[in-house]
Amino acid sequence: MSAAVIELAGVRKTFGSVVAVDDIGFEVARGEIVTLLGRTGAGKTTVLNMVMGTIPADRGTIRVAGVDPYLHFRELRGKLAVSFQNDRLLPWRTAVENVELGLLILGRSKEEAHEIATAWLARVDLAGAEAKYLHELSGGMRQRVSLARALAVDPEIVLLDESFSQLDHVTSQTLRRDFTRIAREWKKTCLLVTHRIDDALEMADRILVLHVPASVALELKIDPAVRADRAALRQMHAQITAAMGSDEGQQPGSAAAE
Amino acid sequence: MNKPVSIDSIEPSGAGFRSDRSLRHETFATVVVVIALIAAMEITSRYVPDYIMPSPLKVLEAARKLFFQDYTHVFVTILRLIAAVAFSMLLGIMFGVAMGMLPAVRPYLRALVIIDTGVPALSWMLIAIFWFKDPETRIVFILVVILLPFYALNVYEGIRALPKDLLDMVESFRPTRWQVMRYLVGPHIVQYIFLTTKSVIGYAIRMTIFAELIASAIGVGSRMGLAHSNFQIDQLLAWTFFLIALSLSLQAAINAVEKHFMRWRPELEVR
Repeated sequence: MSAAVIELAGVRKTFGSVVAVDDIGFEVARGEIVTLLGRTGAGKTTVLNMVMGTIPADRGTIRVAGVDPYLHFRELRGKLAVSFQNDRLLPWRTAVENVELGLLILGRSKEEAHEIATAWLARVDLAGAEAKYLHELSGGMRQRVSLARALAVDPEIVLLDESFSQLDHVTSQTLRRDFTRIAREWKKTCLLVTHRIDDALEMADRILVLHVPASVALELKIDPAVRADRAALRQMHAQITAAMGSDEGQQPGSAAAE
Repeated sequence: MNKPVSIDSIEPSGAGFRSDRSLRHETFATVVVVIALIAAMEITSRYVPDYIMPSPLKVLEAARKLFFQDYTHVFVTILRLIAAVAFSMLLGIMFGVAMGMLPAVRPYLRALVIIDTGVPALSWMLIAIFWFKDPETRIVFILVVILLPFYALNVYEGIRALPKDLLDMVESFRPTRWQVMRYLVGPHIVQYIFLTTKSVIGYAIRMTIFAELIASAIGVGSRMGLAHSNFQIDQLLAWTFFLIALSLSLQAAINAVEKHFMRWRPELEVR
């Protein structure tokens, strides 16, 4: 692995009297898929928002592609894309027009954006659905459009915020596999947030289990060979469950931080 | 007894606004009401003098004459109406967007707009006569100051109603302020602009006619004033019917344009 693309050191974030993130630090190397795993209210989304640059940290340093994402918000233009928990598609745009959005913002021509967006829709198994509006797509299809929108801009870094958690088990599993395949094929640096242990075990190169408030309680490196070893997976599952459950210092009302 | 409505019975009806069945029903109801009104006019005209209620045929004859002789007034009124509504829309959108996107100027613009809503239309009409010599300027000014607050406040409310989720999503691509306007705010407020236009168009017609009556020598409003002075109630009614037809035609035209621009919006129908 080469140098870290995402670096957090001693980061703390509070909302009023609620400590959402407490002295968290980790790195994500280029091309690595790292999952932040934690219970609801663990501050995972707050960490992701700080990495995205939409909120500042109260203390500590955050570097994304070498810059502070909050202070140098515009410098990450085209380098970072996000897929959210809900699809956040623009209802007045068709599927292909939604995928074109990021490309147009980054200054691609309409024709070029359309060509790239159409190709990405095909990659996420949505060929033929280009002209469909939001209400004509199922939940799984919408989430695919949302993923295509994030990946179409060819970002160096992809952030996923519980992107598969609102889907049924089968759709979620298919999408996770598709995303992981694409992310590895295109060598994307990914930071994923989830509360589902199975999602993390299936997708990540490394899992960071968070305490409440967010701080790294356990770090697990996932060897691809381990995924086929049921006994090893069960053991990891138990280890993670124990780490997620040990929430000494949990503050009442910390769910607000999510 | 009414059928109970469950969530299962609510289904998207596709890209259309209204189903063909409901549209046919509405058209049928309108035709029935028009026929009933004409019949009532005819019956009344047989029992009262002509200067109170002329027969529909007499009104039709007056309308035919007006259409061929006074069509300039019709065109002038329609042009004034379109120009004034378009100008009000443009200014109102600019005010609304500025109120929604520039917090520093928001309180000042909002105060200005709210004060404007408190000024009676008649005051603006009389003030316009003092301030402007040219009747066209008077009428456009009157319409703009009356209609601007509707557009400004609705567009502002539209921007306030913009889902934060969508704004965060667009901002994740690090757009410029102009790109946020172009790809998010602009398309989002289109529905509010249509809603406002549909709401004010009838009012705008009434205000144009009233302004023409007070501040101009040409246009349908001034012709209605003349008909009134000459006790020509058939002409007065003919102009009135023309204005109703104009209002309905403009509503239909706006609906057609809206249907095109808002084709992405599904209509929920309750069975």
